[in-house]
Amino acid sequence: MGKMKKRKKWLRSEAAWAWGMMLPGLLVLTVFVFWPLIYSLPLAFTDYSVVGEMKFVGTKNFERAFSDPDFIASLTNSIQYVLVVPVIQMASMAFAVALNQKIRGVKVFRTLYYFPVVTSTVAVSIVWSWLFSSGGLVNQLLLDAHIISEKVNWLSDDSTALWVLMFITTWKGVGYYMVIYLAGLQSIPGELIEAARIDRAGTLQIFFKILVPLLKPQVVMCSLLSVMSAIKVFDEPFVLTKGGPGNSTLTASLYIYQNGFQNFDFGYAAALSLILSVIILFFSLLVNAYNRRK
Amino acid sequence: MKRNVKKIVLYLILIGISILMVGPFVWLLLSSLLPNTNVYDFPNNVRLENFSISNFTGVFEFIDFGSFILNTVLISGSSVLLNALLASLTAYPLAKLNFKGKNLVFTIIISAMIVPATAAMVVNYLTITKLGLGDTYLGVILPTSVTIINIFNMRQGFLSVPDSIRESGKMDGASEWKIFTALVMPMVKPNLAVVILFQFMASWNDFLWPMIVLNDTGKYPLSAALTMLNGQFAYNFGWVAAGTVLSIIPTLVIFVLTQDMFVDGVSGANKG
Repeated sequence: MGKMKKRKKWLRSEAAWAWGMMLPGLLVLTVFVFWPLIYSLPLAFTDYSVVGEMKFVGTKNFERAFSDPDFIASLTNSIQYVLVVPVIQMASMAFAVALNQKIRGVKVFRTLYYFPVVTSTVAVSIVWSWLFSSGGLVNQLLLDAHIISEKVNWLSDDSTALWVLMFITTWKGVGYYMVIYLAGLQSIPGELIEAARIDRAGTLQIFFKILVPLLKPQVVMCSLLSVMSAIKVFDEPFVLTKGGPGNSTLTASLYIYQNGFQNFDFGYAAALSLILSVIILFFSLLVNAYNRRK
Repeated sequence: MKRNVKKIVLYLILIGISILMVGPFVWLLLSSLLPNTNVYDFPNNVRLENFSISNFTGVFEFIDFGSFILNTVLISGSSVLLNALLASLTAYPLAKLNFKGKNLVFTIIISAMIVPATAAMVVNYLTITKLGLGDTYLGVILPTSVTIINIFNMRQGFLSVPDSIRESGKMDGASEWKIFTALVMPMVKPNLAVVILFQFMASWNDFLWPMIVLNDTGKYPLSAALTMLNGQFAYNFGWVAAGTVLSIIPTLVIFVLTQDMFVDGVSGANKG
Protein backbone atom coordinates (compact mmCIF):
# COMPACT_ATOMS: atom_id res chain seq x y z
CA MET A 1 0.00 0.00 0.00
CA GLY A 2 2.71 2.39 1.10
CA LYS A 3 4.81 1.36 -1.85
CA MET A 4 2.00 2.17 -4.27
CA LYS A 5 1.46 5.53 -2.71
CA LYS A 6 5.14 6.30 -2.97
CA ARG A 7 5.13 5.31 -6.59
CA LYS A 8 2.12 7.47 -7.32
CA LYS A 9 3.80 10.39 -5.69
CA TRP A 10 6.98 9.89 -7.75
CA LEU A 11 4.97 9.77 -10.94
CA ARG A 12 3.70 13.26 -10.20
CA SER A 13 7.13 14.52 -9.22
CA GLU A 14 9.41 16.81 -11.20
CA ALA A 15 11.88 13.98 -11.78
CA ALA A 16 9.23 11.81 -13.39
CA TRP A 17 8.20 14.68 -15.66
CA ALA A 18 11.80 15.35 -16.53
CA TRP A 19 12.61 11.78 -17.57
CA GLY A 20 9.27 11.38 -19.34
CA MET A 21 9.82 14.48 -21.44
CA MET A 22 13.43 13.63 -22.28
CA LEU A 23 12.67 9.99 -23.11
CA PRO A 24 12.00 10.29 -26.88
CA GLY A 25 14.96 12.61 -27.45
CA LEU A 26 17.35 10.53 -25.37
CA LEU A 27 16.19 7.38 -27.16
CA VAL A 28 17.08 8.86 -30.56
CA LEU A 29 20.46 10.11 -29.29
CA THR A 30 21.25 6.75 -27.71
CA VAL A 31 20.56 4.78 -30.87
CA PHE A 32 22.04 7.16 -33.45
CA VAL A 33 24.73 9.13 -31.58
CA PHE A 34 25.98 7.19 -28.54
CA TRP A 35 25.62 3.66 -29.91
CA PRO A 36 27.75 4.36 -33.03
CA LEU A 37 30.45 5.78 -30.78
CA ILE A 38 30.44 2.70 -28.56
CA TYR A 39 30.00 0.14 -31.31
CA SER A 40 32.56 1.42 -33.80
CA LEU A 41 35.35 0.72 -31.31
CA PRO A 42 35.02 -3.10 -31.31
CA LEU A 43 33.99 -3.01 -34.98
CA ALA A 44 37.40 -1.60 -35.86
CA PHE A 45 39.00 -4.83 -34.66
CA THR A 46 36.87 -7.10 -36.85
CA ASP A 47 36.61 -7.95 -40.53
CA TYR A 48 32.86 -7.26 -40.57
CA SER A 49 31.49 -7.03 -44.07
CA VAL A 50 28.18 -7.85 -45.75
CA VAL A 51 29.50 -11.23 -46.80
CA GLY A 52 30.80 -13.96 -44.51
CA GLU A 53 31.03 -14.28 -40.73
CA MET A 54 32.35 -11.47 -38.55
CA LYS A 55 35.75 -12.39 -37.13
CA PHE A 56 37.93 -10.67 -34.57
CA VAL A 57 41.16 -9.76 -36.36
CA GLY A 58 43.08 -7.89 -33.68
CA THR A 59 45.02 -4.87 -34.90
CA LYS A 60 45.11 -6.07 -38.51
CA ASN A 61 42.92 -3.20 -39.77
CA PHE A 62 45.26 -0.65 -38.23
CA GLU A 63 48.38 -2.31 -39.61
CA ARG A 64 46.73 -2.36 -43.01
CA ALA A 65 45.79 1.32 -42.70
CA PHE A 66 49.31 2.53 -42.08
CA SER A 67 50.72 0.56 -45.01
CA ASP A 68 47.83 1.51 -47.31
CA PRO A 69 49.20 4.08 -49.79
CA ASP A 70 45.66 5.29 -50.62
CA PHE A 71 44.92 6.01 -47.00
CA ILE A 72 48.22 7.81 -46.50
CA ALA A 73 47.52 9.88 -49.64
CA SER A 74 44.03 10.72 -48.38
CA LEU A 75 45.39 11.79 -44.99
CA THR A 76 48.00 13.99 -46.66
CA ASN A 77 45.27 15.64 -48.73
CA SER A 78 43.07 16.19 -45.69
CA ILE A 79 45.94 17.76 -43.81
CA GLN A 80 46.80 19.96 -46.81
CA TYR A 81 43.16 21.04 -46.69
CA VAL A 82 43.79 22.64 -43.29
CA LEU A 83 45.64 25.37 -45.20
CA VAL A 84 42.20 26.86 -45.97
CA VAL A 85 41.81 27.75 -42.28
CA PRO A 86 44.10 30.81 -42.08
CA VAL A 87 42.82 32.07 -45.44
CA ILE A 88 39.17 31.67 -44.47
CA GLN A 89 39.72 33.26 -41.07
CA MET A 90 41.68 36.25 -42.34
CA ALA A 91 39.22 36.88 -45.17
CA SER A 92 36.13 36.60 -42.98
CA MET A 93 37.65 38.88 -40.36
CA ALA A 94 38.57 41.45 -43.01
CA PHE A 95 35.06 41.27 -44.47
CA ALA A 96 33.60 41.73 -40.99
CA VAL A 97 35.76 44.80 -40.34
CA ALA A 98 34.77 46.28 -43.71
CA LEU A 99 31.10 45.70 -42.96
CA ASN A 100 31.34 47.10 -39.45
CA GLN A 101 31.53 50.66 -40.82
CA LYS A 102 28.62 53.00 -40.47
CA ILE A 103 27.84 53.31 -44.16
CA ARG A 104 24.69 52.74 -46.17
CA GLY A 105 23.94 49.36 -47.69
CA VAL A 106 25.95 47.34 -45.18
CA LYS A 107 23.06 44.96 -44.63
CA VAL A 108 22.74 44.29 -48.36
CA PHE A 109 26.42 43.35 -48.59
CA ARG A 110 26.13 41.13 -45.51
CA THR A 111 23.19 39.32 -47.12
CA LEU A 112 25.05 38.81 -50.40
CA TYR A 113 28.20 37.49 -48.72
CA TYR A 114 26.09 34.99 -46.81
CA PHE A 115 24.38 33.53 -49.92
CA PRO A 116 26.97 30.76 -50.47
CA VAL A 117 26.57 29.62 -46.86
CA VAL A 118 22.86 28.81 -47.14
CA THR A 119 23.25 27.14 -50.54
CA SER A 120 23.81 23.39 -50.63
CA THR A 121 27.34 22.17 -51.31
CA VAL A 122 25.91 20.13 -54.15
CA ALA A 123 24.54 23.19 -55.94
CA VAL A 124 27.66 25.21 -55.25
CA SER A 125 29.93 22.42 -56.50
CA ILE A 126 27.93 21.99 -59.69
CA VAL A 127 28.15 25.71 -60.51
CA TRP A 128 31.88 25.93 -59.83
CA SER A 129 32.61 22.76 -61.79
CA TRP A 130 31.25 24.52 -64.86
CA LEU A 131 33.05 27.75 -64.12
CA PHE A 132 36.32 25.84 -63.71
CA SER A 133 35.84 23.61 -66.77
CA SER A 134 38.37 24.07 -69.56
CA GLY A 135 36.03 26.26 -71.65
CA GLY A 136 34.63 27.92 -68.54
CA LEU A 137 34.51 31.46 -67.33
CA VAL A 138 37.53 31.20 -65.04
CA ASN A 139 39.86 30.28 -67.90
CA GLN A 140 38.25 32.94 -70.08
CA LEU A 141 38.78 35.69 -67.52
CA LEU A 142 42.34 34.62 -66.69
CA LEU A 143 43.22 34.42 -70.39
CA ASP A 144 41.75 37.87 -71.02
CA ALA A 145 43.73 39.25 -68.11
CA HIS A 146 46.88 37.51 -69.43
CA ILE A 147 47.41 35.75 -66.10
CA ILE A 148 47.56 32.38 -67.87
CA SER A 149 48.68 31.84 -71.45
CA GLU A 150 46.71 28.68 -72.19
CA LYS A 151 43.61 26.95 -70.81
CA VAL A 152 44.10 25.05 -67.58
CA ASN A 153 42.11 21.87 -66.89
CA TRP A 154 41.58 22.92 -63.30
CA LEU A 155 39.66 19.90 -62.04
CA SER A 156 41.27 17.18 -64.14
CA ASP A 157 44.86 18.22 -63.51
CA ASP A 158 46.27 16.57 -60.39
CA SER A 159 48.39 19.60 -59.54
CA THR A 160 45.41 22.01 -59.39
CA ALA A 161 42.33 19.93 -58.50
CA LEU A 162 42.74 19.96 -54.71
CA TRP A 163 43.48 23.70 -54.71
CA VAL A 164 40.28 24.35 -56.64
CA LEU A 165 38.29 22.39 -54.05
CA MET A 166 39.99 24.39 -51.29
CA PHE A 167 39.04 27.60 -53.06
CA ILE A 168 35.38 26.52 -53.25
CA THR A 169 35.37 25.61 -49.55
CA THR A 170 36.82 29.01 -48.70
CA TRP A 171 34.30 30.82 -50.89
CA LYS A 172 31.40 28.94 -49.32
CA GLY A 173 32.55 29.28 -45.72
CA VAL A 174 33.71 32.89 -45.49
CA GLY A 175 30.23 34.35 -44.88
CA TYR A 176 29.57 32.07 -41.92
CA TYR A 177 32.62 33.13 -39.95
CA MET A 178 32.14 36.75 -41.04
CA VAL A 179 28.80 36.86 -39.24
CA ILE A 180 30.38 35.54 -36.03
CA TYR A 181 33.20 38.11 -36.21
CA LEU A 182 30.71 40.86 -37.02
CA ALA A 183 28.78 40.06 -33.84
CA GLY A 184 32.05 40.16 -31.92
CA LEU A 185 33.05 43.51 -33.45
CA GLN A 186 29.73 45.07 -32.56
CA SER A 187 30.46 44.46 -28.89
CA ILE A 188 33.74 46.42 -29.13
CA PRO A 189 33.13 50.05 -28.11
CA GLY A 190 33.66 52.52 -30.96
CA GLU A 191 35.50 54.94 -28.68
CA LEU A 192 38.39 52.47 -28.46
CA ILE A 193 38.99 52.69 -32.21
CA GLU A 194 38.41 56.46 -32.20
CA ALA A 195 41.05 56.85 -29.50
CA ALA A 196 43.50 54.77 -31.54
CA ARG A 197 42.82 56.93 -34.59
CA ILE A 198 43.49 60.08 -32.58
CA ASP A 199 46.81 58.48 -31.60
CA ARG A 200 47.43 58.19 -35.35
CA ALA A 201 47.28 54.38 -35.52
CA GLY A 202 46.97 53.03 -39.08
CA THR A 203 44.16 50.80 -40.24
CA LEU A 204 46.35 47.69 -40.26
CA GLN A 205 47.72 48.55 -36.85
CA ILE A 206 44.20 48.92 -35.47
CA PHE A 207 43.25 45.62 -37.07
CA PHE A 208 46.12 43.57 -35.66
CA LYS A 209 46.82 45.39 -32.39
CA ILE A 210 43.26 46.12 -31.22
CA LEU A 211 40.60 44.17 -33.08
CA VAL A 212 42.24 40.75 -33.37
CA PRO A 213 43.17 40.52 -29.64
CA LEU A 214 39.68 41.66 -28.63
CA LEU A 215 38.11 39.10 -30.95
CA LYS A 216 40.12 36.27 -29.40
CA PRO A 217 37.12 34.25 -28.15
CA GLN A 218 35.67 34.30 -31.66
CA VAL A 219 39.04 33.52 -33.25
CA VAL A 220 39.50 30.46 -31.03
CA MET A 221 35.97 29.23 -31.68
CA CYS A 222 36.10 29.81 -35.44
CA SER A 223 39.55 28.33 -36.04
CA LEU A 224 38.56 25.24 -34.08
CA LEU A 225 35.38 24.76 -36.11
CA SER A 226 37.27 25.53 -39.28
CA VAL A 227 40.11 23.07 -38.62
CA MET A 228 37.70 20.28 -37.75
CA SER A 229 35.59 20.72 -40.85
CA ALA A 230 38.68 21.05 -43.07
CA ILE A 231 40.12 17.69 -41.95
CA LYS A 232 36.70 16.08 -42.28
CA VAL A 233 35.99 17.58 -45.73
CA PHE A 234 33.84 15.29 -47.83
CA ASP A 235 31.14 17.05 -49.87
CA GLU A 236 33.30 18.95 -52.36
CA PRO A 237 35.50 16.04 -53.47
CA PHE A 238 32.50 13.69 -53.43
CA VAL A 239 30.44 15.83 -55.79
CA LEU A 240 33.21 17.26 -57.94
CA THR A 241 36.06 14.81 -58.40
CA LYS A 242 35.30 11.53 -56.57
CA GLY A 243 38.88 11.71 -55.35
CA GLY A 244 40.48 11.98 -58.79
CA PRO A 245 42.40 12.55 -60.91
CA GLY A 246 44.43 9.69 -59.47
CA ASN A 247 44.39 10.15 -55.72
CA SER A 248 44.95 13.88 -55.88
CA THR A 249 41.65 14.89 -54.22
CA LEU A 250 40.99 11.75 -52.19
CA THR A 251 40.33 12.97 -48.64
CA ALA A 252 40.22 10.79 -45.54
CA SER A 253 36.44 11.07 -45.16
CA LEU A 254 35.93 10.17 -48.80
CA TYR A 255 38.22 7.15 -48.48
CA ILE A 256 36.34 5.99 -45.37
CA TYR A 257 33.08 6.36 -47.28
CA GLN A 258 34.43 4.35 -50.21
CA ASN A 259 35.56 1.54 -47.92
CA GLY A 260 32.30 1.48 -45.98
CA PHE A 261 29.71 2.02 -48.65
CA GLN A 262 31.33 0.88 -51.87
CA ASN A 263 33.50 -2.02 -50.70
CA PHE A 264 31.24 -2.77 -47.67
CA ASP A 265 34.41 -3.26 -45.68
CA PHE A 266 32.80 -2.03 -42.45
CA GLY A 267 35.53 -3.18 -40.10
CA TYR A 268 38.27 -1.40 -42.04
CA ALA A 269 36.11 1.72 -42.42
CA ALA A 270 35.53 1.80 -38.65
CA ALA A 271 39.28 1.52 -38.03
CA LEU A 272 39.98 4.37 -40.46
CA SER A 273 37.31 6.54 -38.78
CA LEU A 274 38.92 5.88 -35.44
CA ILE A 275 42.33 7.01 -36.75
CA LEU A 276 40.75 10.12 -38.28
CA SER A 277 38.97 10.91 -34.99
CA VAL A 278 42.28 10.75 -33.12
CA ILE A 279 43.90 13.07 -35.69
CA ILE A 280 41.03 15.56 -35.42
CA LEU A 281 41.26 15.45 -31.65
CA PHE A 282 45.02 16.08 -31.92
CA PHE A 283 44.51 19.11 -34.17
CA SER A 284 41.80 20.54 -31.90
CA LEU A 285 44.09 20.22 -28.90
CA LEU A 286 46.87 21.86 -30.92
CA VAL A 287 44.65 24.84 -31.80
CA ASN A 288 43.60 25.10 -28.17
CA ALA A 289 47.15 24.96 -26.87
CA TYR A 290 48.34 27.51 -29.42
CA ASN A 291 45.61 29.94 -28.44
CA ARG A 292 46.26 29.54 -24.75
CA ARG A 293 49.98 30.19 -25.19
CA LYS A 294 49.41 33.46 -27.07
CA MET B 1 37.43 65.20 -49.60
CA LYS B 2 39.80 62.56 -48.23
CA ARG B 3 36.84 61.03 -46.42
CA ASN B 4 34.91 60.73 -49.66
CA VAL B 5 37.78 59.03 -51.47
CA LYS B 6 38.06 56.55 -48.63
CA LYS B 7 34.35 55.85 -48.84
CA ILE B 8 34.45 55.27 -52.58
CA VAL B 9 37.39 52.86 -52.22
CA LEU B 10 35.52 50.97 -49.51
CA TYR B 11 32.42 50.68 -51.69
CA LEU B 12 34.51 49.51 -54.65
CA ILE B 13 36.06 46.78 -52.51
CA LEU B 14 32.67 45.73 -51.12
CA ILE B 15 31.16 45.59 -54.62
CA GLY B 16 34.17 43.64 -55.91
CA ILE B 17 33.69 41.02 -53.20
CA SER B 18 29.96 40.95 -53.98
CA ILE B 19 30.69 40.05 -57.60
CA LEU B 20 32.89 37.19 -56.44
CA MET B 21 30.29 35.93 -53.93
CA VAL B 22 27.12 36.35 -56.01
CA GLY B 23 28.50 36.26 -59.56
CA PRO B 24 28.36 32.45 -59.81
CA PHE B 25 24.65 32.53 -58.85
CA VAL B 26 23.89 35.19 -61.46
CA TRP B 27 25.80 33.25 -64.08
CA LEU B 28 23.87 30.08 -63.15
CA LEU B 29 20.51 31.85 -63.37
CA LEU B 30 21.36 33.41 -66.74
CA SER B 31 22.58 30.08 -68.10
CA SER B 32 19.40 28.33 -67.02
CA LEU B 33 17.35 30.97 -68.83
CA LEU B 34 19.35 30.78 -72.07
CA PRO B 35 18.61 27.37 -73.62
CA ASN B 36 20.12 26.45 -76.98
CA THR B 37 22.97 28.91 -76.59
CA ASN B 38 26.60 28.18 -75.91
CA VAL B 39 27.04 28.85 -72.18
CA TYR B 40 30.77 28.95 -72.70
CA ASP B 41 30.27 31.92 -74.96
CA PHE B 42 29.29 34.06 -71.97
CA PRO B 43 28.53 36.98 -72.03
CA ASN B 44 28.01 37.06 -75.82
CA ASN B 45 25.11 34.63 -75.52
CA VAL B 46 23.16 37.00 -73.24
CA ARG B 47 20.69 38.50 -75.72
CA LEU B 48 17.10 39.32 -75.06
CA GLU B 49 15.74 37.13 -77.87
CA ASN B 50 17.53 34.08 -76.42
CA PHE B 51 15.72 34.12 -73.05
CA SER B 52 13.28 31.27 -72.47
CA ILE B 53 12.01 29.16 -69.59
CA SER B 54 12.08 25.98 -71.64
CA ASN B 55 14.78 24.46 -69.38
CA PHE B 56 12.45 24.83 -66.41
CA THR B 57 9.47 23.28 -68.16
CA GLY B 58 11.87 20.62 -69.45
CA VAL B 59 12.97 19.37 -66.04
CA PHE B 60 9.36 18.96 -64.93
CA GLU B 61 8.35 17.23 -68.14
CA PHE B 62 11.26 14.88 -68.68
CA ILE B 63 12.87 14.32 -65.28
CA ASP B 64 9.77 14.44 -63.03
CA PHE B 65 11.34 17.18 -60.98
CA GLY B 66 8.05 17.78 -59.18
CA SER B 67 8.36 14.52 -57.29
CA PHE B 68 11.92 15.36 -56.18
CA ILE B 69 10.62 18.65 -54.79
CA LEU B 70 7.80 16.82 -53.02
CA ASN B 71 10.28 14.32 -51.51
CA THR B 72 12.43 17.17 -50.22
CA VAL B 73 9.46 18.99 -48.71
CA LEU B 74 8.34 15.78 -47.02
CA ILE B 75 11.79 14.96 -45.60
CA SER B 76 12.73 18.45 -44.43
CA GLY B 77 9.21 19.17 -43.17
CA SER B 78 9.16 16.09 -40.93
CA SER B 79 12.72 16.68 -39.83
CA VAL B 80 11.92 20.26 -38.79
CA LEU B 81 8.74 19.23 -36.92
CA LEU B 82 10.47 16.39 -35.07
CA ASN B 83 13.45 18.54 -34.12
CA ALA B 84 11.29 21.39 -32.85
CA LEU B 85 9.26 18.95 -30.75
CA LEU B 86 11.99 16.63 -29.47
CA ALA B 87 14.60 19.34 -28.88
CA SER B 88 12.10 21.37 -26.82
CA LEU B 89 11.02 18.34 -24.79
CA THR B 90 14.60 17.24 -24.14
CA ALA B 91 16.01 20.67 -23.38
CA TYR B 92 13.30 21.92 -21.01
CA PRO B 93 14.03 19.51 -18.12
CA LEU B 94 17.76 20.08 -18.59
CA ALA B 95 17.25 23.81 -18.09
CA LYS B 96 14.36 24.16 -15.69
CA LEU B 97 13.43 20.97 -13.80
CA ASN B 98 15.18 19.50 -10.78
CA PHE B 99 16.12 15.85 -10.92
CA LYS B 100 19.01 13.57 -10.07
CA GLY B 101 21.58 13.13 -12.84
CA LYS B 102 20.71 16.35 -14.65
CA ASN B 103 24.29 17.54 -15.01
CA LEU B 104 25.49 14.10 -16.00
CA VAL B 105 22.92 13.83 -18.80
CA PHE B 106 23.82 17.28 -20.10
CA THR B 107 27.57 16.61 -19.97
CA ILE B 108 27.20 13.34 -21.87
CA ILE B 109 25.09 15.00 -24.56
CA ILE B 110 27.48 17.92 -25.03
CA SER B 111 30.64 15.82 -25.09
CA ALA B 112 29.21 13.69 -27.90
CA MET B 113 29.24 16.84 -29.99
CA ILE B 114 33.05 16.91 -30.08
CA VAL B 115 33.33 13.48 -31.67
CA PRO B 116 33.27 13.52 -35.50
CA ALA B 117 30.26 12.09 -37.27
CA THR B 118 32.18 10.11 -39.90
CA ALA B 119 32.35 7.04 -37.70
CA ALA B 120 28.63 7.17 -36.96
CA MET B 121 27.51 6.83 -40.55
CA VAL B 122 28.60 3.24 -41.07
CA VAL B 123 27.08 2.07 -37.78
CA ASN B 124 23.87 4.05 -38.38
CA TYR B 125 23.51 2.45 -41.77
CA LEU B 126 23.76 -0.99 -40.13
CA THR B 127 21.20 0.05 -37.49
CA ILE B 128 18.73 1.41 -40.02
CA THR B 129 18.96 -1.78 -42.07
CA LYS B 130 18.48 -3.95 -38.95
CA LEU B 131 15.39 -1.91 -38.03
CA GLY B 132 14.01 -2.68 -41.49
CA LEU B 133 14.06 1.01 -42.39
CA GLY B 134 16.35 0.77 -45.40
CA ASP B 135 14.95 2.56 -48.46
CA THR B 136 12.32 4.40 -46.34
CA TYR B 137 11.84 8.09 -45.54
CA LEU B 138 11.70 7.21 -41.85
CA GLY B 139 15.19 5.78 -42.20
CA VAL B 140 16.36 9.07 -43.69
CA ILE B 141 14.68 11.24 -41.04
CA LEU B 142 15.05 9.27 -37.81
CA PRO B 143 18.83 9.60 -37.11
CA THR B 144 18.64 13.41 -37.19
CA SER B 145 15.12 13.72 -35.73
CA VAL B 146 16.78 15.50 -32.81
CA THR B 147 20.29 16.95 -32.97
CA ILE B 148 22.54 18.00 -30.13
CA ILE B 149 22.99 21.53 -31.45
CA ASN B 150 19.21 22.03 -31.46
CA ILE B 151 18.90 20.73 -27.90
CA PHE B 152 21.68 23.12 -26.91
CA ASN B 153 19.95 26.05 -28.61
CA MET B 154 16.59 25.36 -26.94
CA ARG B 155 18.26 24.93 -23.56
CA GLN B 156 19.82 28.39 -23.91
CA GLY B 157 16.32 29.76 -24.47
CA PHE B 158 14.77 27.96 -21.51
CA LEU B 159 17.61 29.11 -19.23
CA SER B 160 16.65 32.73 -19.91
CA VAL B 161 13.04 32.13 -18.75
CA PRO B 162 12.77 33.39 -15.15
CA ASP B 163 11.88 30.79 -12.47
CA SER B 164 9.07 33.03 -11.25
CA ILE B 165 7.06 32.04 -14.34
CA ARG B 166 7.05 28.41 -13.23
CA GLU B 167 6.28 29.35 -9.65
CA SER B 168 3.32 31.51 -10.58
CA GLY B 169 1.96 28.65 -12.68
CA LYS B 170 2.31 26.28 -9.75
CA MET B 171 0.48 28.72 -7.45
CA ASP B 172 -2.42 28.66 -9.89
CA GLY B 173 -2.42 24.88 -9.65
CA ALA B 174 -1.26 24.27 -13.23
CA SER B 175 0.32 20.90 -14.04
CA GLU B 176 3.94 20.62 -15.22
CA TRP B 177 2.69 20.00 -18.75
CA LYS B 178 0.42 23.04 -18.68
CA ILE B 179 3.24 25.25 -17.37
CA PHE B 180 5.50 23.98 -20.15
CA THR B 181 3.09 24.40 -23.03
CA ALA B 182 1.12 27.50 -21.99
CA LEU B 183 3.63 29.57 -20.00
CA VAL B 184 7.19 28.64 -20.97
CA MET B 185 7.02 27.72 -24.66
CA PRO B 186 5.62 31.10 -25.78
CA MET B 187 8.66 32.74 -24.17
CA VAL B 188 11.23 30.79 -26.19
CA LYS B 189 9.74 31.48 -29.61
CA PRO B 190 12.95 33.17 -30.90
CA ASN B 191 15.02 30.07 -30.07
CA LEU B 192 12.41 27.80 -31.58
CA ALA B 193 12.50 29.89 -34.76
CA VAL B 194 16.29 29.53 -34.99
CA VAL B 195 16.04 25.76 -34.50
CA ILE B 196 13.38 25.52 -37.21
CA LEU B 197 15.41 27.66 -39.65
CA PHE B 198 18.71 25.86 -39.15
CA GLN B 199 17.15 22.43 -39.30
CA PHE B 200 15.28 23.35 -42.46
CA MET B 201 18.47 24.49 -44.18
CA ALA B 202 20.41 21.44 -42.97
CA SER B 203 17.91 18.86 -44.13
CA TRP B 204 17.04 20.68 -47.36
CA ASN B 205 20.71 20.66 -48.35
CA ASP B 206 21.63 17.19 -47.06
CA PHE B 207 22.37 14.67 -49.79
CA LEU B 208 24.73 12.00 -48.48
CA TRP B 209 22.59 10.25 -45.88
CA PRO B 210 19.50 10.10 -48.14
CA MET B 211 21.68 8.60 -50.89
CA ILE B 212 22.99 5.97 -48.48
CA VAL B 213 19.58 4.96 -47.09
CA LEU B 214 17.46 5.19 -50.24
CA ASN B 215 17.95 2.61 -53.02
CA ASP B 216 15.09 3.88 -55.14
CA THR B 217 16.39 7.06 -56.78
CA GLY B 218 12.78 8.16 -57.32
CA LYS B 219 12.61 8.78 -53.57
CA TYR B 220 15.65 11.10 -53.60
CA PRO B 221 15.40 14.65 -52.26
CA LEU B 222 16.60 17.50 -54.51
CA SER B 223 20.25 17.65 -53.44
CA ALA B 224 20.73 13.92 -53.90
CA ALA B 225 18.83 14.01 -57.20
CA LEU B 226 21.08 16.82 -58.44
CA THR B 227 24.27 14.84 -57.80
CA MET B 228 22.74 12.04 -59.83
CA LEU B 229 21.42 14.32 -62.62
CA ASN B 230 24.73 16.14 -62.87
CA GLY B 231 26.32 12.89 -64.00
CA GLN B 232 23.41 11.60 -66.07
CA PHE B 233 22.46 14.77 -67.91
CA ALA B 234 25.91 16.29 -68.28
CA TYR B 235 25.11 16.71 -71.98
CA ASN B 236 22.04 18.81 -71.19
CA PHE B 237 23.62 21.55 -69.18
CA GLY B 238 20.45 23.67 -69.24
CA TRP B 239 18.38 21.14 -67.33
CA VAL B 240 20.95 20.68 -64.60
CA ALA B 241 21.24 24.47 -64.34
CA ALA B 242 17.47 24.86 -64.07
CA GLY B 243 17.29 22.08 -61.45
CA THR B 244 20.09 23.68 -59.46
CA VAL B 245 18.34 27.07 -59.56
CA LEU B 246 15.09 25.47 -58.34
CA SER B 247 16.90 23.77 -55.46
CA ILE B 248 18.59 27.01 -54.37
CA ILE B 249 15.60 29.37 -54.51
CA PRO B 250 13.71 28.19 -51.39
CA THR B 251 16.76 28.45 -49.11
CA LEU B 252 17.75 31.87 -50.47
CA VAL B 253 14.22 33.27 -50.18
CA ILE B 254 13.79 31.99 -46.64
CA PHE B 255 17.22 33.31 -45.70
CA VAL B 256 16.50 36.80 -47.07
CA LEU B 257 13.16 36.94 -45.24
CA THR B 258 14.54 35.76 -41.90
CA GLN B 259 18.14 36.94 -42.04
CA ASP B 260 18.16 38.92 -38.80
CA MET B 261 17.02 35.85 -36.90
CA PHE B 262 19.59 33.81 -38.80
CA VAL B 263 22.48 36.07 -37.96
CA ASP B 264 21.45 36.16 -34.29
CA GLY B 265 21.27 32.39 -34.36
CA VAL B 266 24.77 31.93 -35.78
CA SER B 267 26.39 34.43 -33.45
CA GLY B 268 24.33 33.24 -30.46
CA ALA B 269 25.16 29.57 -30.90
CA ASN B 270 28.86 30.37 -31.08
CA LYS B 271 29.12 32.62 -28.07
CA GLY B 272 32.31 32.09 -26.14
